[in-house]
Amino acid sequence: MTYSSELIKGTLKTIVLKLLADNKRMYGYEITQRVKVLTLGKIQITEGSLYPTLHALEQEGWVSTETEYIGKRVRKYYSLSPAGKTKTKERVKEFSEFMDTMVFLLGIKPKTS
Amino acid sequence: MYPINDQQITYILDDIRRRGIRMESLQESLLDHVCSLIEQNCKEGDDFEAFYATVIKEFYKKELREIEEETLLLIASKKDVNMKKAMVLSGAFSVAAFITGSTAKILQAPLAFPALVLGFLTIAFLFLPLLFIIKFREQGAGRDKLLWALGILVGILYCLSMLALFTHFRNKAMIWHITLAISFFVLIPVYFFTGIRNPEKRMTTIVVSVLMVAITGIQFSLTALHPPVTDKQPSAVQNAPLPGKTRPLVNDRGKPVFVKYQ
Repeated sequence: MTYSSELIKGTLKTIVLKLLADNKRMYGYEITQRVKVLTLGKIQITEGSLYPTLHALEQEGWVSTETEYIGKRVRKYYSLSPAGKTKTKERVKEFSEFMDTMVFLLGIKPKTS
Repeated sequence: MYPINDQQITYILDDIRRRGIRMESLQESLLDHVCSLIEQNCKEGDDFEAFYATVIKEFYKKELREIEEETLLLIASKKDVNMKKAMVLSGAFSVAAFITGSTAKILQAPLAFPALVLGFLTIAFLFLPLLFIIKFREQGAGRDKLLWALGILVGILYCLSMLALFTHFRNKAMIWHITLAISFFVLIPVYFFTGIRNPEKRMTTIVVSVLMVAITGIQFSLTALHPPVTDKQPSAVQNAPLPGKTRPLVNDRGKPVFVKYQ
């Protein structure tokens, strides 16, 4: 089952920030593939939502970029800026608290393994 | 891994541009993404153009330029946040300048003049223009934009009029009367006739219009109908003993004598 884009949209920034925190630097296609593998295909980030998000993160100063030429084309690598590292911690913490609230609100019983 | 050549890269880039992507950084990102997808998923001997046509369709719902529109929207909203912060800061600064200037004026401290001038200048040339840009972007209808433009213009003129009065500028009366005239004959009618057509805003429009007319009328009667301050005689001249003017009753020591009426 793939999660709906509406559900993913609000968490996309957090997902990208956390991925960049765990991996030193990544490029667009790499991010989509890593998410797909990590979530067993349940979350598929579309190009239409990834690149606007990456540009917005760059604009906010949370990610920095460096470019490399691969033949005739340019590859843009994204990495976290110092402000982005702080923001990632805040975002992950906020999302964790949000999940706890949703579990309580929707009456979901935590899975016991 | 499919070996993608320079000719195919040019083909993809041209197509991305043709589909309405104008941002160079976005063109480069999409080009690299498409190339990566082709390299990983296309097999040697496959039809490149057919494969590309299938791949690019997965990037959008209706058109490829949706990605650029979304990007610009996200960047613009961030700019708006910064602009709103700047507007609030400039507003807070002008309020602080007005309070400091007024307090200094009451205490006859030397900071009064520069603080008040700074307050007027900040509100006229920073706060109000920023407010105009933000509201101009937010408002959808042209009529609302016009109303905001007029309101901000009158606001700036009010500040400049006050500044002219405060600094004793030579044409202060003219600037003040122009401000009142634009407010009364342009802003209030435009506001009234724009709002009265909207059933939801009708009552608010009437009340606000009445208040605006009353305030403008009070300002006009206080300033234009009253003799200008410069025409008045200085207090020293007014208090000087004039021939034939009744002098106050004083005793031998020169102190005033109070007469008790029965």
